[in-house]
Formats: sequence, C-alpha cells, structure tokens
Amino acid sequence: MSARDRAVGPVFPLVARDEASAAFFDAAARGQLLVRRCRIGGDVLAPETRTCPRCGSADLDEVVVSGRGTLVSWAVVHQAPLPSLVPAVPYISALVELAEGPWLLARLVGSDPAGPRAGAEVEVRFVPSGEPSAPPAGEVLPVFALVSAPGTGADAATRADGPMSEGEGRATS
Amino acid sequence: MTGADLAAIAGLGMTRLGKVYGRSSTSLAAEAVRLALADAGLSLGDLDGLLISGGIRQDVGVSLAGVLSTGPLGLLAQVNAFGASAGAMVAQAAQAIAAGVASTVACVFADTPLRPQRPAGAAWGAPKAGAGGAVGLAGWQLASGATNPNILYALAARRHMERYGTRSEQLAEVAVAQRAWAAGNPLATMREPLTVEQHQASRPIAEPLRLLDCCLVTNGAVAVVVTAADRAADLRQPPVHLWGYGQAHQPRRMLSGSDWGLVTPAARCGPQAMRMAGIGVDDVDVCELYDCYTYTVVVTLEDYGFCAKGEGGAFVAGGRLAPGGKLACNTGGGQLSGYYMWGMTPLSEAVVQARGQGGTRQAPRNDVILVSGNGGILEHHATLVLSPHRRRGNAA
Ligand SMILES: [Zn+2]
Repeated sequence: MSARDRAVGPVFPLVARDEASAAFFDAAARGQLLVRRCRIGGDVLAPETRTCPRCGSADLDEVVVSGRGTLVSWAVVHQAPLPSLVPAVPYISALVELAEGPWLLARLVGSDPAGPRAGAEVEVRFVPSGEPSAPPAGEVLPVFALVSAPGTGADAATRADGPMSEGEGRATS
Repeated sequence: MTGADLAAIAGLGMTRLGKVYGRSSTSLAAEAVRLALADAGLSLGDLDGLLISGGIRQDVGVSLAGVLSTGPLGLLAQVNAFGASAGAMVAQAAQAIAAGVASTVACVFADTPLRPQRPAGAAWGAPKAGAGGAVGLAGWQLASGATNPNILYALAARRHMERYGTRSEQLAEVAVAQRAWAAGNPLATMREPLTVEQHQASRPIAEPLRLLDCCLVTNGAVAVVVTAADRAADLRQPPVHLWGYGQAHQPRRMLSGSDWGLVTPAARCGPQAMRMAGIGVDDVDVCELYDCYTYTVVVTLEDYGFCAKGEGGAFVAGGRLAPGGKLACNTGGGQLSGYYMWGMTPLSEAVVQARGQGGTRQAPRNDVILVSGNGGILEHHATLVLSPHRRRGNAA
C-alpha cells in the first residue's frame, strides 16, 4: 500500500467476520465473490439475501460468480455518513448489477469521479479493510472498478484533503 | 367504500418547531394532541382514539395515552411506515370511525433528533457497529459507504438522470419553488429567496445531491384530529374532508430488472387514492408532496401521473411548482425549507390550505388537495385526497 499521509484512518473501515459471513470473507480472501443462489429456480442473488424475490423460497445456497457486471448507478460521497468513513471521502458508492443478475452496493475504486456512466462495465476487485499496516487486519472486501479504469484496488481510491465541514441544520451527516 | 364522506380532519395542532431543546418527544406529542383538540373545539374527554408515530428517534409510543391521562380509548397504536406514517394513521383513523370503534381519533407525530452543539446530520446515528466494529455482511455493506438516505437517494436520482437526462438544475427548481412558498409561511425555517445558482453553488453532499436538495432536521410535534364528517361540520374549524386514501409498499428489489429508484410505490398508491376520491390528476389544485429530497418530488409527480415517466425534470422547470405557477406544490415550503415532520409536513400544510388559512401563501384554488408520504428509500408510500367540500354533491 502506498503512504497516505493525509489519512486519519483507513479508506475501507475495518470489517470483522461473524459466523454467517465466514464463507463470504474466506472466498474474498481467495479472490472470489461468493453470493447466494435459489435452490428452487436457480436465481443468483445478493450475498445478504434471505428470501428469493422471484419465487419466495428461503432455500438458498452459495455460489461463486464471475465478478463482472454493469454499473446501475453511483453516488460521489463528499460528506461521510459515519465517522469511520471520514477518511474515505470523497468516495464513490455504486449500485452494480452482476452478470448473473443480483444487485450489490459496493465501493467503486480506481476511477475518476467524473468517469462513470450507467451501463458501464465493472469488475470485482479485492481490497483489505482496516489499516493494512496496523493490526488487527480486517477482512478482505469485494469492491468494483470500471473495466477500463486504470489502477486497481485501494491505492486508486480517491481521497479528499480531510473531513468536510459539518451540518447547517440539514438532514445530512 | 364509496369514497364519499369517509371522515374529516377537524383539528390541527403544532408545537414550536425547529431547535426546540430540553423537551422529550413524548412531551411535545402530548402538547400537539392538546393543541389539535383545542383547535377543533374538543376536549380530552372527547378523545377515544390515539395513533402515534415517531421519527428519526422513534422514542414516542403508546405510553403517551397515560401521559395525556385520556379516558377510555377504542383505538390505541403506534404506527410506523416511516414517511408514510401520517397518511397511514389518517386512513386507519377513518377506517376505525367508519367501523364505529372510535369517533374522535388524534394522529400525532413527534421527534427530537436535534441536539444543541451537534451537527444536524448526526441525527442519523451510526449503525450498531461503530468505528472499528463493522461486522459480517453488514460490515461489508457499511464499507460500501452507502449507509444513509443521502447516498441511497443520490443513487436513485443518478439513475433517473442517466436514464432520462434529468439534470441537477431541474432538481434545483423544486428547492427554489418551495423556498418561494416558504416566504409566506411564518413557521418555515428558511424563508429568504433562493436561486437555481445558489442551489448549484451549495456544497455537494452525495452527488448528484447538493445541500439544498436535502431536507431540514426539526424538533417538534404535529397532530391532527379525525372525526366523522357530520360531526366535523359542527366543530370549531372548517372541516377538511377525506375523499380518498391509499398505501403502497415495495421493498427494494436488488436484482436485474428492478425499477427501484425510477418508479416508486406512489405509482400504485396515487391512482388508488384518486379512484376512491373519484378524481383524476387534472382535478388536483394543490399538491403537498413528501420531499425528503428534491428528487422525491420529481419522481412522485411522475408516478402520480402529472407527467409521463422520465419527464418530471422538465415538468418542474420554469417555476411550475412556484407561487404563480401552474401547480401549487408544497405551499408551506415543505421539508426542504419549512420543517421536517415527516408525513405531517405535507399533511399539516394541506389542512391549512383546505381551510383557506394560508394567508399570503394561500393557493388560488383549493378544492382538491393531494397529499403524499414517502418512506424508506422510495419503498413506502401513502396518499390522501383532501377537500374543504363534502365528496357528495361536489362537481369534481
Ligand atoms: Zn427462487
């Protein structure tokens, strides 16, 4: 990782696993994106899905997907919604449609904030969470990058000079 | 249900709104109920139904009945459909009255998210996992950065922009029009004139949304009293008749083919309420639309059928929603410039307009008023159709 001298914390806040997410994070550490699949209809669903929206079944298993997809929408976040995201602003939150069908909310890295377009091709990348140089190490997180974008991973994530000034009686955080 | 004379709103109570510190949501809720009863010329002894909803803090509940020392109630419940709660409460009150289980129902909303010396945005607290404590798939979702409404509504607005060419300057038209209305509302927080240029110069929060695309945060409480139309006619204030209502919900569908962000449950709810009322969009004189963000107004106008899908940006341009425009909309300044009382913001202003009590901001015509509530991330919706007239015999 490159030096981030203006950082006051990690670009990707430290994420720890729990029992339910162990397989997801094990896959991410291997460079694989693990999502869910309906055992009835075969629909591929987002990792956090509990019920298949097409058939109503709760009988879901897990499947590794290609990690390729398209951009549905994105937001360039200037005002961090949480203290742990302050070091990351400005960053891009993306809504991605995987080639297999499910939608994921994930960070978009390695791109100029002016660059994204709906329908643009994206692919998964894997980045460490937390401070890479300071234990404890966080889990590896799936994020996405525009396929054409130069640079990959956390190093290419954009960052601001520091926290934005706060509130003026608006419902923004 | 024919839609005729469902019920009427007979009282409106509003506490001081804004930076009201040192009082609990429950205390404010109790005051709003007392004010609404007094407004109607009723007393606590008349009350036999109480519906309660909270806001960001969700810290008001059925204990309010004890705080008010009510008599026997035939209806008491906490209602939460987020921004659709106000419309849901009024509909539930009307149903209870029609069923004969209650005759006089207060519907109240209260919230106290603002704290002294704390940014308004801090009102939306962190999820359970705090700094360094993001866990599991929820932790991964937290790391996506899309953790609050600003960002999720930005995703919706961006999707609309990409699909239909909607522009930030068109969203600005909503904020500018509402600010112009707010100038006539003594209760509004922001009353100085606003221009599209000022909107464009306001700092980006989650692009495409800027500061002036986002609603305010407010402490306070608002209540309405619902009763039978016949009874309301004998009370102190001009009755505001309920002609129709509807509720529609669609949890976000996170898969290929989803129209999330582009189409909201308003598309089902609006036509349902208008059908019950026996009207169409062309009959609507005043819109009081839920405006957590400027984009919410644009997409709701489309879904209600005021314009075709995708044409909302062009529809609101040119001051159409402003004073003197073709469609009076959010005549009290809404939640962008007035006050943030969730669904009670559009509902309270609808009552004012239906009574003809809008003063300098009174809309030129008020025969049919359409009220919306929206919650979640464009996932929950309620619609009310209100009028100063009884449905029966009205040539709407
Ligand atoms: Zn299925």
